[in-house]
Amino acid sequence: MSSRPVRSQSTVSANVKSRLPALVVIIGGLALTGALLRLVEAPLWTVLRAEQPALRLDSTGAAAGQGVTLGLLGGFRAIVADFTWLRLHVLWEQRDLPATDTLLRLVTAVDPRPLYFWVNGARIIAFDMTAWRIAAAGGYDSVPEARQERIGAEQARLAIRRLEEAMTFHPANAALWVERANIELNRLHDVAAAAASYRRAWEQPGGPDYAARLHAELLKRLGRKAEALAWLVQLHPQLPTGDEATEIVLGRIRDLEKDLQVPAARSYRPPPGGPPGAKPGGR
Amino acid sequence: MTRVPFSFTRARLIGQNTLLEASRQKLFSFLLLLALSLVAGAQGFRDFNFGAPELKFLADLGYGAMAFFGAALTVAATAQLFFSEIENRTALTLLAKPVWRAEFILGKYLGIAAVAAVFCVLLTGLLAAVLWAREGSLLTEFPEAFPHGRTLHFADLVAAGYVQWLKLAVLAAFTLLVASFSQTQLYTVVTGFFVLVICHLQYLAQDASARGDSVFARAVAGAIGLLFPNFQLFNLAENVGAGVAVPWDRVAHVSVYALGYVVAAGALAVYSFRKREI
Repeated sequence: MSSRPVRSQSTVSANVKSRLPALVVIIGGLALTGALLRLVEAPLWTVLRAEQPALRLDSTGAAAGQGVTLGLLGGFRAIVADFTWLRLHVLWEQRDLPATDTLLRLVTAVDPRPLYFWVNGARIIAFDMTAWRIAAAGGYDSVPEARQERIGAEQARLAIRRLEEAMTFHPANAALWVERANIELNRLHDVAAAAASYRRAWEQPGGPDYAARLHAELLKRLGRKAEALAWLVQLHPQLPTGDEATEIVLGRIRDLEKDLQVPAARSYRPPPGGPPGAKPGGR
Repeated sequence: MTRVPFSFTRARLIGQNTLLEASRQKLFSFLLLLALSLVAGAQGFRDFNFGAPELKFLADLGYGAMAFFGAALTVAATAQLFFSEIENRTALTLLAKPVWRAEFILGKYLGIAAVAAVFCVLLTGLLAAVLWAREGSLLTEFPEAFPHGRTLHFADLVAAGYVQWLKLAVLAAFTLLVASFSQTQLYTVVTGFFVLVICHLQYLAQDASARGDSVFARAVAGAIGLLFPNFQLFNLAENVGAGVAVPWDRVAHVSVYALGYVVAAGALAVYSFRKREI
């Protein structure tokens, strides 16, 4: 009776020993193959990684999550994320803050590609969740204004953090910078930060011209009129000829020149034949 | 008794038989029908699409079905078709005849690769038809959105389907390698899925081996990075439907990469199977 465990132990040991050489050969063979095929893999991987921001995340946890969802779900990511967003809407209607927040994270973890999820998610965090928290604390009438402001600022910072995360997946995206600027302006009331973000939005490829105009408007609001004028003077030649927005910019230049009492000799003169409509390099 | 030379004909016959056997399996029919109906009914999911262009959404769904159900089919079918021969003792009968073990493994592999190919061809064909029909109706509804006519290149669809098949072929070779020394079908299936996950995260192991903190962690990560292929390289379907042409040189490089791993894993499976007692 007592010899049975000893026998089974020795059987296992013999079994492992008999397989060990085969295991070594298999591991050695795969390692050799991996080393040889690294020559093919390395250049391909460099190109692919440059194309897909999800594959070059700094955080190992986030990168692992993306690796698994990308690999196992593949194209299903889109439909899984869409259904998660629908579920999120149900929770949003119920004003369930923790569940909405969880699904907001989940939906972008499953599929970080659509901007829709990031931008609308940031809006929900900054605006809706602020209202929910104030309502939960007793409503706008009973919660002191200072506390309302504090809640709004907390939510705004969370939303900006989400947008910063979005920028790791969508670098050089104007819509994300516009959204950030809107939150900084309307929630944090940080005009200087919003002005800087609108400028960053305009600097991105395909950045909207209105972001450049808003940058100037906010500089004006900050009392930095000379800076605003210099900005608009630099902007105007880059706008399309005959466009309504181009005329608005010229009008604002004239207003600022009047405010700053710029002598007629030094006032801005549009290029002959109107602005060429070219945008600066990198745009 | 004289030893017969290695015969590709025998390997092909075993492969044909494997394919036939697979086609009779309920699992194959179930996964194939599920994937086909999902792709065929993809337009029904359009209302649930947020943010992505419609054709991209349809293409994503199609290749998602191919990758997801294809991987499940490949791992399960490889394990099942290999172990059915062992458990039903047909392998003993077959190998008692002048048939090389290498021919048996090659035949099994060819059969499974053919199963994966049939799956990918059917799904790619159906996806192409769905996309063609939808693009046609979009062209009629919104001609201004298509100033240069059709935007989908069907050669790109085929290339993406082919690369998906290459990935399944590598996965099949690795699952067969596991099956060659494994004692149970369940162990093979579970390990096959682990291999699938590890291969998708292989690039993280490479990163960790380059930037890891401890020497031990770097060594372990380096070993994983060396032993497993990088399945993220096979992710070509991202380009389809997004207006980005499929880079054909990448398709060629991925083919070489996949072939290298298939040959290596196949040869090691033969070596391991020759040492095995049936």
